[in-house]
Amino acid sequence: MARFEFRRGWLTVSLACIFTILIAFGIATSARAQDQTQDTEAYCLGCHGNPDLSMELPSGETLSLYISPDTLSHSVHSPLGIECQACHTEITTYPHLELAAQNQRELSLAFYEACAKCHSDNYDKAQDSVHAQVAAAGNQAAPICTDCHGAHDVQPPDQPRTEISTTCGECHSAISEEYLTSIHGEALVQEDNPDVPVCTDCHGVHNIQDPRTSQFRIESPEMCAGCHADAELMAKYGLSADVYSLYNLSWHGVDVSVYKANWPTIWHESAVCTDCHGVHNMRATDDPASSVNPANLLSTCQKCHPGVGPNWTGAWTGHNQISLERTPFVYYTDAFYATFAPLVLWGSVIYVVLKILHMLIDRTRRSLR
Amino acid sequence: MTQTNPPPAFQTIPVRTEVHIQRFTLGQRWEHAILFLCTIVLLLTGLPQKYRDASWSQYILSTPERVELVRQIHHIAALVLTALVIYHLGRAILLLARRRLPGNMLISWQDIRDAWKMTKHLLFLSKEKPVYGKYNFEQKVTYWFIFFGVGIMVVTGFVLWFPEMWTRFLPGGIIPAALLAHSTEASVAAVFIVIWHLFHVLIERLNLSMFTGWLNAEDMRTHHLLEYQRLGGDNPDNSDTGDSQ
Repeated sequence: MARFEFRRGWLTVSLACIFTILIAFGIATSARAQDQTQDTEAYCLGCHGNPDLSMELPSGETLSLYISPDTLSHSVHSPLGIECQACHTEITTYPHLELAAQNQRELSLAFYEACAKCHSDNYDKAQDSVHAQVAAAGNQAAPICTDCHGAHDVQPPDQPRTEISTTCGECHSAISEEYLTSIHGEALVQEDNPDVPVCTDCHGVHNIQDPRTSQFRIESPEMCAGCHADAELMAKYGLSADVYSLYNLSWHGVDVSVYKANWPTIWHESAVCTDCHGVHNMRATDDPASSVNPANLLSTCQKCHPGVGPNWTGAWTGHNQISLERTPFVYYTDAFYATFAPLVLWGSVIYVVLKILHMLIDRTRRSLR
Repeated sequence: MTQTNPPPAFQTIPVRTEVHIQRFTLGQRWEHAILFLCTIVLLLTGLPQKYRDASWSQYILSTPERVELVRQIHHIAALVLTALVIYHLGRAILLLARRRLPGNMLISWQDIRDAWKMTKHLLFLSKEKPVYGKYNFEQKVTYWFIFFGVGIMVVTGFVLWFPEMWTRFLPGGIIPAALLAHSTEASVAAVFIVIWHLFHVLIERLNLSMFTGWLNAEDMRTHHLLEYQRLGGDNPDNSDTGDSQ
């Protein structure tokens, strides 16, 4: 105890000196930089570096008070000089203030607010998320900053990229497993593919929205189009970049675009990408397990069109341009109207114009006579 | 023909008798009226569905309930039109069986020759104008265009109304083809009716015989000379049956 008191006194004196010098030289440093740069780490680890340090919470849970110096020094914050007191602002002295938290979760919920001090933009975004809504509804398990990013061991969240799906999978385990069987998930895990979407690419990062709303549903094709309408990106994988524009011409796509434009909040069943391709488990169309593989297409259609016969799948032109091989009926209809319509319309326009001219010329001649 | 100047004194005012000749029967006029109404309703309820991005369309289709209503009206009008088609074809078949179907609406070589003659006349290559029977080639084009147009619309319309039923025995590819045909034919027909039909019956000359049933003898002689003669009308001495009033 005496040692601590001595060191605290020494610290106070040196801080006072530094402070006086700064004032004297009139150096105006930003408040944030001052907050962050605090040489408290070594001081705190004096106690918290002890692996056996722990306390009992009123709930009966044992709270370990050990902070691994190694973990801390490899986090993103510590090397930047952002040390203990940058976050633990309420701890200014020893003995510390009495903890109000009854259990570990309450403690986390009380402490994570500190993130907002520096990361206010992401913190505010997270307040708009479905996670914040769940929390507001009283669910204490709803994730807070530290659940995804860690507390003392904060690391860049996307290095490697698989880390993102792993993080989400800690709660959303069934979906995460499903995702890992998809073409996106496979490419992510097997080759660390930088192009495939991870959870956050579709769901957002901090302001994650409820994906079960009609709004999310109706806007989802546009989201897929973010990559699948990118010609350069799709060419890399030998995929068509016209899938979205052709979908928009299809029965489903027209219907969906009308709802999107006019009534985004009204639930509508017209098929969006995920209804046929799967939500998290989409696979390549030539994969026998794909829901849109020709072998499975009919049963996929029957999800919405129960009882349709095997010819039904032919009604779906797919995401293909009109062609003689794939869509002969549409091809010939298109070819017919491409000739017939201009022929009839231009023919009648020319004939009518000739008649009007003839009438005018006749009338003029007669009046001149 | 009408005398606008006051007649000179001591001269008897010539009595002008206007002879009207029946051109269309009541049944035909009803058919036209129903076709006309159905077409208007079908276009008013169909075009907003086709041009969904347009603001006028969104004004009509302002709620999902409106879309449903518009579709129902479209279907009801389609059923009326289908009944009309069945009546029209049934009547034609019946008359044909009794050998009483007038063939004057059928397209003949004479119509091709008339069209050629008329084109030359319009281009000032010939002074001569064709003389017509009861229906001139322009009217036949109107009839047959609408005949086949309505046929396409009815057939494709039913394919689109019950796609799941049709694909039980027909290939699935007909569904998108029917959608394309239904949508394109509707626009082509609408534009054609405005350009061609409305020009001929409203602008070129006001011809409401399809509503009144009657055409006066003068118009009959001017525009349908052969029919006029066939009905026993006087035989004019020249071929100058132009637009002179």
